[in-house]
Amino acid sequence: MMTTFGTYVQTIIEQAGHHASKDGSATIEAHHLLLAIAAQEGTTAHHALISVGLDQQAIHDALDREFEDSLRAAGVSRGAFDLPQPSSDPKPSARVGASAKLALERGVAAAARKKDLRPAHLLLGILEARVGTVPRALALAGIDQADLTARIRQALTNNGR
Amino acid sequence: MSDVEIPAQDPAGRPTTVADRLAAVAALRRLADQLEDAVVEQAMRAGWSWPEVAEALGVTRQAVHKKHAKRLIAAGVRLRRRR
Repeated sequence: MMTTFGTYVQTIIEQAGHHASKDGSATIEAHHLLLAIAAQEGTTAHHALISVGLDQQAIHDALDREFEDSLRAAGVSRGAFDLPQPSSDPKPSARVGASAKLALERGVAAAARKKDLRPAHLLLGILEARVGTVPRALALAGIDQADLTARIRQALTNNGR
Repeated sequence: MSDVEIPAQDPAGRPTTVADRLAAVAALRRLADQLEDAVVEQAMRAGWSWPEVAEALGVTRQAVHKKHAKRLIAAGVRLRRRR
């Protein structure tokens, strides 16, 4: 039998796959999970993200900025190559990449016991990253990762969703 | 880690850290993948064959076919038969 957490994770991975293929990424990464989480209304994770001003568009913008800033550090501009947008694969990416795997493992580990796992633990797992695309994008968006984590933990204690 | 500062500068003269430079490597990989998608599509639309594209990219024909064929067929690109 599938748990609530299991069903949620499956939905998020599926949605994240669409973000990944739109992105031209063969694998689903942590930032694709984050984009999918931001679109699932009615969850503790969604509430927490909205409470700090992170809707899906804000996350998109932060990720774009991170990409451009990182390229600039290497002297490369994203628009330097005047190329048409490639056709994206109509089939969503299904392979879970390294950063998403880490987020899932950390999310599961964030619950004291397996039966305490709630959908919001996945977001906690993503937010445990200290380096990589997600923390850099959140920093650029002016988000305090520790504060966001504390909000989610508090919400989990309050309503257990 | 991000708190280890090694003095270096980006092309605009701003200081960069090791974390910035690792992020740059990750971003360059992502950009290279996106460019490959765009240019391979352009080549195939212009009538290049898989072996030609593969040789130009320095990869095997199987690799380029596996990576791009489904996407391009779905996009309605007319692919040339192998010569």
